Amino acid sequence: ENSPAPLPERAIYGFALFLGSWFGFILYLIWAYIPETWLFSLGLTYWPQKYWAVALPVYLLVAVGIGYILLFGINMMSTAPLNSTHTVTDNYAKKQQHKKFQEEAIPALRDIPISEVNRMFFLPEK
Amino acid sequence: MAEERRFRSASGAPIALRRRQHSASCRELAVRGPRLQLRSLSAATSAVWLAAYGLFALSENSMVLSAAIFITLIGLIIYLHFVKIDQESLLVIGSLGIQVTSSYASGKESTTFIEMGQVKDVVINEAIHMQKVIYYLCILLQDPDDPQGVSEVVPLFQSSKPRLDCLIEVYKSCQEILGQRKTAPQSS
Repeated sequence: ENSPAPLPERAIYGFALFLGSWFGFILYLIWAYIPETWLFSLGLTYWPQKYWAVALPVYLLVAVGIGYILLFGINMMSTAPLNSTHTVTDNYAKKQQHKKFQEEAIPALRDIPISEVNRMFFLPEK
Repeated sequence: MAEERRFRSASGAPIALRRRQHSASCRELAVRGPRLQLRSLSAATSAVWLAAYGLFALSENSMVLSAAIFITLIGLIIYLHFVKIDQESLLVIGSLGIQVTSSYASGKESTTFIEMGQVKDVVINEAIHMQKVIYYLCILLQDPDDPQGVSEVVPLFQSSKPRLDCLIEVYKSCQEILGQRKTAPQSS
């Protein structure tokens, strides 16, 4: 039942989000640009400090920049070092069951140990 | 019986592989990296001294100059003694074990011996290292509980990082000796 096709409910959600984001953007522009005195004269006094109208976008952009570097660093940290057994095997390979060889059938998929792979690649004289 | 062949390291530097057969079951393979070049040493020294002279011109403090000379000397000694590896060698003795030696530029040698009972196999593995995929030779140590398992991986030739053609030569030499232990298990 989970298809990505357009549905009436999805169209309504999309339109509500569209209106909501436009409303939020206009509200942000009003808060950032219209002087405080005009807003007070209208009776709207409970606004955050205008400092945040500049600070929040700056925080967001710096976070995006740091995110690039952070992702790069996390990738480097989770790469297995050269002396770890994870470069050679893992839990699935250790626990695999050996299926019996059947004539005329495609051999079952299995993880070939690295010693065998090396012998196949590097030992035969061509 | 010794022979020497030239190869390239993973970063392109010229290295030399020397193979010596001491007996039918004993072989020594040594990979020698390039020596410390005079031009890179002069370049580093001049850079440090120019920077120190610039600082001295800004701050008018003559301690900066003597500190720079001190730093250059101590830095060079530390580099030669702890960082610059001239030669890495592998001595495979069929019934005894494998000995791995690293010789530093200052003459220091650091040695590791792995007895043959612990060695499962010597293989060429490929892994991700610093945004590159490199081939490296490593010794797989046997897991005492599980005959098929690998308990530890010991990478070899870490500082000279030879390319695949050199590694294949070393691999073939090692496999000739390691293959003998299966055919003659009753000897010792």
